[in-house]
Amino acid sequence: MTSPGLFTAHVPGTSLLHRMPLWPKLAGVIAVGAMAWLVGSPWPFAAVTLVLWALAVAAALPLRRLLRSIRTLLPVLVVLLAFQWWSHDLAYAVHVVLGIANAFVAAGILTATTPVTDLLDAVVRAARPLRRVVDPEVVALTLGIVVRSVPWVAGSFAAVRQSARARGLDRDPRAVVVPTVVHVVAYARATGEALAARGLTDPPDDEPDPDIGSGGRRS
Amino acid sequence: MTSVRVQGATVTLPADGSPDGRSRTILGPVDLTLDEARVSVIGANGSGKSTLLRLLNGLVAPTSGTVTVDGLDTVRHGARVRRRVAFGFTDPLSQLVMPTGREDVELSLRRRHRARSDRRAAAEDVLARFGLSHLGDQSVYELSGGERQLMALAVVLATDPALLVLDEPTTLLDRRNTSGFTRLLETLPQTVVLATHDLELALLADRTIVVDAGRVVFDGEPAVAVERYRNLVDEP
Repeated sequence: MTSPGLFTAHVPGTSLLHRMPLWPKLAGVIAVGAMAWLVGSPWPFAAVTLVLWALAVAAALPLRRLLRSIRTLLPVLVVLLAFQWWSHDLAYAVHVVLGIANAFVAAGILTATTPVTDLLDAVVRAARPLRRVVDPEVVALTLGIVVRSVPWVAGSFAAVRQSARARGLDRDPRAVVVPTVVHVVAYARATGEALAARGLTDPPDDEPDPDIGSGGRRS
Repeated sequence: MTSVRVQGATVTLPADGSPDGRSRTILGPVDLTLDEARVSVIGANGSGKSTLLRLLNGLVAPTSGTVTVDGLDTVRHGARVRRRVAFGFTDPLSQLVMPTGREDVELSLRRRHRARSDRRAAAEDVLARFGLSHLGDQSVYELSGGERQLMALAVVLATDPALLVLDEPTTLLDRRNTSGFTRLLETLPQTVVLATHDLELALLADRTIVVDAGRVVFDGEPAVAVERYRNLVDEP
């Protein structure tokens, strides 16, 4: 469907960021995101941009992927920049746009240097106090699937847009939006079926099952 | 050897939502006892093959009748049945729900290995067993069709199920990958039940079931079954 951007793919490595526990990285991402409310001048945002790109280089992350991720966000950032410039001033517009781009890159660096299974473990731990209300494993699995599904939905949108263009319908939003929604619903159903087939949606079963694990049954 | 019993099983779609407002039986009644190591199921598109396969691990519940795997009812003991019965889909991308194969294998092992280090080691073992260690950290989108199918197989076999059910596993594969996949199936210790349009693959089974219009119309020797199926689909 599509190749992944940095935002959704773990990039194996041995850098300091790769070896660092999840929580400091998560705190860093939250701090970068919170800057938008706490800092008024665009200069600290520019400094953080440089730091984030330096971290990406130090972690040996593929910059081409990072640029590709940013490129998908670019149209939104350009529109936002123009709107904020028109409604406020250029300094404020740069501050807003850099704030969003930095949060996006920081989150990308976090997911690129952390295996999804580590993220799932952290979510399970965080959701444990809520275990009477919801199974923490289900919460973690849901988040994992969201991460996995982002490139799929983006790829589906691109493929639908291409086929609409081939039919000369690329200016008709219905020709793009409706099939994309249909694809996404079908994908969600298929994913649900795959999870059910693997027993991942079954409640934990404490019943002993002595045969499990023996695998080889062929005689 | 795993034993599957299907007794008087039917699957009926409810009247709600059907275009003509009437319920429709899409499978059955079916009576089968599967004890062979390799069983293939053949039939035209929409004949009921996939529905029959989905009955075997409780993905679809029979409207009437029962399905049991080693004596466990697929409805009453669904979770235990699914621990015994792995299911592989035609499109491996529907099967792989994590960004990389290694993470997906680890997901399969989450309930068996709570400690992260144990899970990592077990996942590495699984990947190595399937010769996939070098592909474990690649995005599932970057794998070729054959690699994806193999990874999907590793993911569902990570928990060492007793029965492997495969729904048209070679439909999206080219001839080379089909051959490789077929050779791999031969080496698996699990009992395998697979639906396929690939009649060469169907012939490799110990027993072949032909499904047409929701009914089992032949059940027996693969060569005879394939001949019957050819006659069936070639009829004007």
